[in-house]
Amino acid sequence: MHFSDYESDQSRLYNIGHVEDKDSAASKGKVKKIWAVTAILSVITIVEVGLGLYSHFNHMPKTLINTIFILLTILKAAYIVRVFMHLGDEVKNMILTILIPLTLFFWFILAFLWDGSFWLWINHHFTIR
Amino acid sequence: MSAVAVDKKKAWGGGQSPFNLSYGKIMMWYFLMSDAFTFGAFLISYGTTRFFSNLWPNPNEVFASFPWFAPNGGAPMAFVSLMTFILILSSVTMVLAVHAGHCRDKAGVIKWMLWTIIGGIAFLACQAWEWMHLHHHIGNLWGSFAPDANGVIPYAENLPHFFGHDVPAALVASDGAAAAHKFFNFFFSITGFHGAHVASGVVLNIIILLNTINGTYEKRGHYEMVEKVGLYWHFVDLVWVFVFTCFYLL
Repeated sequence: MHFSDYESDQSRLYNIGHVEDKDSAASKGKVKKIWAVTAILSVITIVEVGLGLYSHFNHMPKTLINTIFILLTILKAAYIVRVFMHLGDEVKNMILTILIPLTLFFWFILAFLWDGSFWLWINHHFTIR
Repeated sequence: MSAVAVDKKKAWGGGQSPFNLSYGKIMMWYFLMSDAFTFGAFLISYGTTRFFSNLWPNPNEVFASFPWFAPNGGAPMAFVSLMTFILILSSVTMVLAVHAGHCRDKAGVIKWMLWTIIGGIAFLACQAWEWMHLHHHIGNLWGSFAPDANGVIPYAENLPHFFGHDVPAALVASDGAAAAHKFFNFFFSITGFHGAHVASGVVLNIIILLNTINGTYEKRGHYEMVEKVGLYWHFVDLVWVFVFTCFYLL
C-alpha cells in the first residue's frame, strides 16, 4: 500500500462508511440518551439560576455558592463534551491528547487569580502608585 | 468499530488511523482545544482584574431587564437564562442532526439543521437586544465610564444601579466608575468574541444545510461534515456555559 492510497481512500484508515439503522433499538436508545442529557443540562441550569436568585435576595456565604457554581459548570461541560461532542466514544489516547493539555488551566487560573489578589493587597498597603 | 479494530501493538505501525478518526475531525478537535485556551485567557484576565479591583458590579443588578416584560430592570437573571436555554437547545438539535447523519437520514439532517440555525439566530438576536439595551444605559459599548475631555464621566448617574444596596455610596463614588469601565470592556469583548463564533457557526451551519439539500453528502457516502461542524457548534455552547458562570453567576 502506497502513501497516496491513504489520501484517495481514507475509509481504509478509519471507520467512516458505517451506517446506522434509524429504526433500530440501538439508534432509538441513542436519541433517548440525547434527550435525557438535555433534561439534565436544563435541570442544572435551573438549579444555577435558582441558587443565583436565592443568594441575591438572601445572604449566603459567597465561597460556598461559588464552589457550587463552579462544580455545576464543570458537570455541565463534561456532559456536553462526553455525550454531545461524542468524546466519550473516541479511542482513549485521543481523549487524553485533548484532556491532558487542558490541565494547564489549573495552574493558569491559580497563578493569575493569586497575582490579582496580591496586587490588590499591595495597593491597600502601599500608597505609591 | 469492528471494521478497523485498533490493535494496541500495531496502532502506530501505519496502514490505519491510530485514533480511528479522519484528519479533518482530529484537526477540528485540536483547533477547538486552542480556541479553548483563547477563551480561557480572556476569562482568566477578567478574573485577575476582578480580584485586583476594590469593587465589582453585581451581575444581578446589571443584567436585570427583559424585553417587553421588564425593560427597566426588576427581573435579574431572567433574560440570560432564556439565552442559555436557547443555546443548549440548539446544541441538542445539532447532536440530533449528527445522529441523523449517522443513519444517512437526509430528511432528518435537514430538519435538525434548520432548528439549529433558528436557535443560533435567536441567540444572536437576544444578544443584540442585550447589547443595545446596555448601550442605552452606559453610553458606549467599549470605553464607557471613562472621563471625557472635561473630566466628566458620562452616564455616571447610572453607576449606583450596578452595585448592591449594601455597597456604601462613598465606595461607589470613588471606585464605581473604574470598576464599571473594566467590567463592561470585558463583557463586550468576551461576549462579542463568543457572538462572533456563534455568527460564523450559523454561516457554517447554513452551508452544511445547503450541501445536505443538494445531496453532496449523500453522494459522498457519509455525513462527516455535519459531525465536524457539529463539534464547532457544541464548542460554542460549551464556551457559553463558562461565560454564563463567570459573568452572571460568580
